[in-house]
Amino acid sequence: MWLRYEHMFASPTPLPARPELNQDLVARVRPLAAASSRRLPLLSALHPLLGDGIQRGSSTVVVAPRGGGGSTLGLTLLTAASSAGHWCGVVGLHDPGVMAMADLGVDLRRVVFVAAEGGRSIEVAGELTDGVDLVLLALRSPAPYAAARQLLARVRDRRAALVVVTTVERHWPIGGDVEIRVSDSTWTGPEHGHGCLTGRRATVLVGGRRMGGAPRRHTLWLPTAEGEIALMEGA
Amino acid sequence: MERLVAVLATELSREGEGGEEVRQFAELLGIVETICPWVTPIRLGLCTFPVRGPSRLLGGDSAVLAAVRMDLERAGFVVRLGIAPGLFAATVAAERGAIVGEGELEAFLAPLDVSVLERPDLTRLLPRLGVRTLGAFADLGAREVYARFGPDALSCHRVASGEEGELPGRRDPGIFRRLRAVGGGEDATSVQQGFDGGTDRLEQRAAMVATRLQQRLGSASVMVARPRGGRCPSDQGAFVPFGGLSPAVSTTVPPWPAHLPAPAPTTVYVDPHPAQLLDAGGAPVVVLRSGLLSATPAVCVLGEGRPRSLDAYGGPWPLVERWWGAQRRRARLQVVCSDGTALLLIFENRQWWLEAVYD
Repeated sequence: MWLRYEHMFASPTPLPARPELNQDLVARVRPLAAASSRRLPLLSALHPLLGDGIQRGSSTVVVAPRGGGGSTLGLTLLTAASSAGHWCGVVGLHDPGVMAMADLGVDLRRVVFVAAEGGRSIEVAGELTDGVDLVLLALRSPAPYAAARQLLARVRDRRAALVVVTTVERHWPIGGDVEIRVSDSTWTGPEHGHGCLTGRRATVLVGGRRMGGAPRRHTLWLPTAEGEIALMEGA
Repeated sequence: MERLVAVLATELSREGEGGEEVRQFAELLGIVETICPWVTPIRLGLCTFPVRGPSRLLGGDSAVLAAVRMDLERAGFVVRLGIAPGLFAATVAAERGAIVGEGELEAFLAPLDVSVLERPDLTRLLPRLGVRTLGAFADLGAREVYARFGPDALSCHRVASGEEGELPGRRDPGIFRRLRAVGGGEDATSVQQGFDGGTDRLEQRAAMVATRLQQRLGSASVMVARPRGGRCPSDQGAFVPFGGLSPAVSTTVPPWPAHLPAPAPTTVYVDPHPAQLLDAGGAPVVVLRSGLLSATPAVCVLGEGRPRSLDAYGGPWPLVERWWGAQRRRARLQVVCSDGTALLLIFENRQWWLEAVYD
């Protein structure tokens, strides 16, 4: 017989499974990163290269040959910050691929894309620092020294962080706190008509004012077959 | 500058006491939305949508206007419609029932009276200086306009010369809130409120800057991305103008058959660029009806650029789909150039196009 009081709560039929939570809603109620922290979060795969965050007020310059992975690397710097609740702005990047950004892990709900060219793009990047924590500026032409300095001052003042992506190193006239250079890259996958692109191996040199010492060499998957970024083991 | 259809319902532009106009405007948006999902309410009685997609679908600009007019008249709305690049010209075109093509903007704006700028100070001063039309105003140098009339007039000058699409301050920032208050505006405005009914502080800060930039550069210059299902990289995501607070973007992509395996290209051209694919002898390579290449490709030429030799290629993968009734045959090819760049080419109508770059 059912004598113990626990049995009063025992259910003769198994309880229905908890309903699946709407993932959008889960993302919305998750506590957001503190606006006052000194670093913006960085994808953990990049910690061995750049440390465990992007310093507020700093500039990161990504130099890669045309089609050599600059967009992939630049957008990757936005992934952890956007997922943690920081708004990001992207200026001057032509026709970015939405699928690729989603695969890299960019939270597209918090990224604003602004179409602007040349001198205006630098001006817009400065204006964006009023509203977002991380600004990605894709340069197609040389930035005037005065405008670049003004932008860096504004980034420091607003405690935002700047990522400059360029194909020609001298387009950005001021050395970055962190500088990432993609020196060479090789795609794997297709051969003569067989297979499709599965990943790109890229060698990057990481240096810059804040990194100290001689530039260090790393080998990355940029991206892997899953569209993410990973450090190559044993390289 | 993006060509827009402006839908102008003058009767609804002034709000009466009962708020009936807001409710009717929301209903109007719902009807226009069945023709194009990217309808943006500008202010009470005025909304716009980009004409490119619907025009391709329905077969021409006038067909789009006819469809909008028919649907709205059936519901009892009296509207004026027009098409032009940018919000300012589109609104003026709607008042005059005009359709302005891509390169015809300057010719359309030039003969207009300066009073269309709706700036009493300029309207009073400019005719006294002998400047009666937007064309004459645009002919003045930007430096002179700035010196004589101040920074505010500079945006009018840019609009008059067709450089910028809209005048600042012509959008009603409260329109989303008012539409939401009567319900029904939610879908039309792609605005979603936060969990607690409000929006967080970071979001408001970002929205303020985005709206400010939108007023200066035009609404189509400040965008948010939304993933969606599709087979080609160009179908897999869309950019929509940043609209109000908290754009409702889903982070999950619905499954879609036959899309390319990851990694996805990081640059996806909205307008594909023509490309050439040649074999080792310099003859063009095409995709045969069998779905195979006519020869082994060795060189790729993008537009007028220098030839790049190829290291590897994958494909072609044929892609046959029924696109609005007409069968569309395409084939995709991934190529890796010897300089290390990887490209996605697409073959359609005996022509290669550069669709995307794996940057």
